[in-house]
This record gives sequence, structure tokens and C-alpha cells, in this order.
Amino acid sequence: MAEIPPDIFFNSISELNAKLRAKEFSCHELTQAFCDRMERIGPRYNALALSLRKDAITKAKDVDRELKRDRTRGALQGIPYGVKDLLAVKKQPTTWGAKPFATQVFDYDAHVIERLDKVGAILIAKLSMVELAGGGDYRTAAASLTGPGLNPWDRTRWSGGSSSGPGAAVAAGLVTFAIGSETSGSILTPSAFCGLTGLRPTYGLVSRQGAMALSWTLDKLGPLCRSAEDCGLVLHEIAGVDLQDPGSAGRSFNYNPKYARKPADITIGYMPVDFEDGAEPSAQPAFRAAFEVIKSLGVTLKEIQLPEFPYGALVGTIIAGEAGSIFEEFIRSGKVDQLADPHQIAGLKAMLDLPSTEYLRAMRVRSLVKAAFHDLFLNCDMVLAPTRLGPANKVAEPLDALGPPTKSRGGLIPGGNLAGLPAISLPCGFADGLPLGISLLGRPFYENQLIAIGDLFQKQTDWHRRRPPMEE
Amino acid sequence: MDISRRQLAGVILAGTAAAQAPPPPTTEQSGNTELESARSARRTAAQIIARVPLPMTTEPAFQFKA
Repeated sequence: MAEIPPDIFFNSISELNAKLRAKEFSCHELTQAFCDRMERIGPRYNALALSLRKDAITKAKDVDRELKRDRTRGALQGIPYGVKDLLAVKKQPTTWGAKPFATQVFDYDAHVIERLDKVGAILIAKLSMVELAGGGDYRTAAASLTGPGLNPWDRTRWSGGSSSGPGAAVAAGLVTFAIGSETSGSILTPSAFCGLTGLRPTYGLVSRQGAMALSWTLDKLGPLCRSAEDCGLVLHEIAGVDLQDPGSAGRSFNYNPKYARKPADITIGYMPVDFEDGAEPSAQPAFRAAFEVIKSLGVTLKEIQLPEFPYGALVGTIIAGEAGSIFEEFIRSGKVDQLADPHQIAGLKAMLDLPSTEYLRAMRVRSLVKAAFHDLFLNCDMVLAPTRLGPANKVAEPLDALGPPTKSRGGLIPGGNLAGLPAISLPCGFADGLPLGISLLGRPFYENQLIAIGDLFQKQTDWHRRRPPMEE
Repeated sequence: MDISRRQLAGVILAGTAAAQAPPPPTTEQSGNTELESARSARRTAAQIIARVPLPMTTEPAFQFKA
């Protein structure tokens, strides 16, 4: 058996795929090494929900046979990955991160897993998550069947939610990429907190068939990776039409970096306060430096104002209306009381009292939000802002504990989700030894351009190549 | 041990106060408090949203497409 050098666990998709094709090691050897690492280190961060070693090894041997015959299936062939445990994997437990669903088993694979399977990617594990993707509003990082998601950069800090396992697993080199979900921040937040590049696609671009529904009109699936390029490679394979997802946009996505517009033709909007003194004090120097790097790419930067809306209240009300309906039987049955977070239990129960007029008003105001973002993008191509205004929360503290006061409003995550817009979060430095991220938000179906600017940013910086100080 | 009448009164009052102090909340009571807090948060959100001027012609973002 070939020895798998430790650096391999932090390789990009392209690097790993090239080594597999060059037969530096077999896919079987690589998969075994990743499974060993996942099972050994994953529990340290409460990142592992379920190891899928047996199926992964079988699949890896298939890939080796294909590579032997020079049958290639693209950049993801032979690449080990994980999925958030809200995605169905045939005949395996799919817990949605929640005790009442601990023994739930589906007899089919989620659509994205089928797609990744077809191109030879190797699913090695299901990854932990906040229970029910945080529906009902959780107050502690411990709101999960597997315990609080711990950050590989500092285990006293949270890995973010609700895709806590995907965030920690990619950061710790337990998988090369992971699939997470976002209703409002669940891909971008773990990406920023764990030093990853995460992509939230346009609503409807990636099928959610086989994923737990929290909000039909807000849920999206997307990749958490090490680089913008990796996000493009994964999105290329998972995006596309699916008639089984009523929200499917009927669009495909081809990752075409060479056809991206030149930076000189791109206008990026920003709010000055975000890059002056708007963020948490410890994070301000990194955000200022990142802004200068973006400027140096040759793009046009333009001051903008984010449309004024009560984004948080709108997202909360829409999730309450939709999740209240989705989980109505679960809530009425009393099983909801088995969840870990009392605050979340109460939040779910309160959903059943939501008047239809309140939900409908929120959805009508959402139409105004969408129109306002449409107008915003008449004046710029994308918007730049800190993903989160500071580093990861302390695990021991309530998530709603007040941090340092900030001047920035930080409405880009809920606003972008309400309007169904794509966004990419890029690692951009550190505060208190913890990673920070900046986000680019774009027009609908503007992923190629977001990835292209992200890739240019990552050619000028090495934040995305930094590794957490882990004991192996 | 000598004890003044004032000290004695203090001890008696403290005992009475302890007897009158509410017992620690049960899980059910704590759950009710959380539920009332969640309902209150919902009402607050509704009030905030109601402040947004909304033309009567605005339709909800159903069949949502980005």
C-alpha cells in the first residue's frame, strides 16, 4: 500500500485528481486513508454523524478499475467528500441532527448524491448538523444530536451552523469538500468561521430532492470547499434541472472560468462602514486589508446602500410559516420535546400560532426585497461585505449573547437569502487566531463571475491555504 | 448564646421570606416561559414587518424564482 502523505488531506480537488490519474496512489488507498482520518479525528470536533466506510471502499475500487482503463469522469472522480446529515443516503440513518429522527432511514439517495455518484466522487461520511437545521431558532451550539460543532482552529469555539459538521470536516482535512444546506446563513457562516470557501447557489439551481425541508422558498444546497475553483468544480456537477424539486429553476451550470468577464468590466458595490469601523474591532484590520486586495484586482468599486428592510424579522416569519407546516405533526405529537435546545422547542411550538396574514405579509414584503435587490444590481455587478462581523462564537456562551458593538448592519445573509441570490464566502484573514470571511453577493445565476473574482482574490492571498493547528 | 430581640426578629423574617420564596421552576414552567418568549418574539417581528409600507397590489413571492 502506498503511504498517503499528510499534505494530501488538504489538497484541492484538482491537485488530488491529478495525483489519482498519475497513479501516485490508488483511489482505494486514498479513500481508506480519509476514512481512517475521519473516524479518528471527526469525533474530536463532533463532526462525524455516520461513517460510510464500507460503501466508500467498494466505490473506490470501482474508480480504480475505471482509472486503470483510462476511463475518466471529470474532476471529482475519486475525490472523498461528505454530506450534511439532512441528505438522504439509501438504507442509512438520516437523523437531521435530531434525536427524534435518530433511526430514520430512507430507501433512496438525495439527487445531489446521485449526481456526485455518477461522476465518481466518493461519499465517505454523513456529517453532523444543528438539529432540524436550526428551525425554531436555537440558542446554543449544543443544539445537535452529536453535540456542539467544535472549530478545528480552536475547540472552544463553534464551527458555525447549521452545517457545523461540513465546516469542521473540510477545515480539518477529513474530506476534500462537503455538501451543506443554507436557509439563511448555514453555508456561509461555517465557511467564514472555519476558514473555508463556501458557495450558496441561486435558489433553484441545485435540486433539494432528498433533503430535509425547512423552508420550501428559502432552502438551498451548496458546497463547502478549500477554494473558489473547487466550489466551481463541485457546483458544475451538482447543479441542474430536476423535475422532482418543485423549486428547480430549470437551469444548468457550466463552470467556465475562462469566459468570465475581466475585472476591469466588473463593478463591486460596498458599504464603506463595513471596511472602516463597522465590524468587531479585532476583525477590522483583516477586512480593511481584504478590501485593498479586492481593489488591487482592477475592479471598479462603488459605494452603495443596502435596501432598508427588516431582514431578520422577514426570514424568521417565513421560516415559521413554512417550517410550522412541514413539522406540524412532529410538533403536535410531542416528539418535539425530545430536541436538545428548549429555546428551539419553544420556537417550533410557537410556529403553530402564526396567523396566515403575518406569513403572507412577510411574503409580500419579500417581493419588495427582491425588487429592491434587482434595482441594486442595475448599478453594480456584485456586493462585497464581511460574511460575519467577527470570528466564531464561544461554544460555552449562548449564541445570542451580545458581542462587541458593531456599526455594520450585516444584513447581506438574510437579504441575499430572501432574494434567492448566490453568494461566495472567501477566507480573508484572522482575528484572535480565528478565521474570518468576506462575501460576494451576485445577481441570480451569476455564480461563474463570483467564482472568478473569488479565484483572483485567492491568487493574491493564501488565507484559503492556511491549516488549523491540529494534533494529528 | 445571647440574642437581641432585633436579631431574633431578623431571623424570623428571614425564615418567613425563605418559606415564601417560589420553588425553582419545573421543566414545564421553564418550557412555558420559553414558549411565551417565542410567541412574544413572533409578535415583535410582526410589528416590525407591519411598519414596511406595502402597496395593496403587491403579491406574495409564491412560486418563488430568484
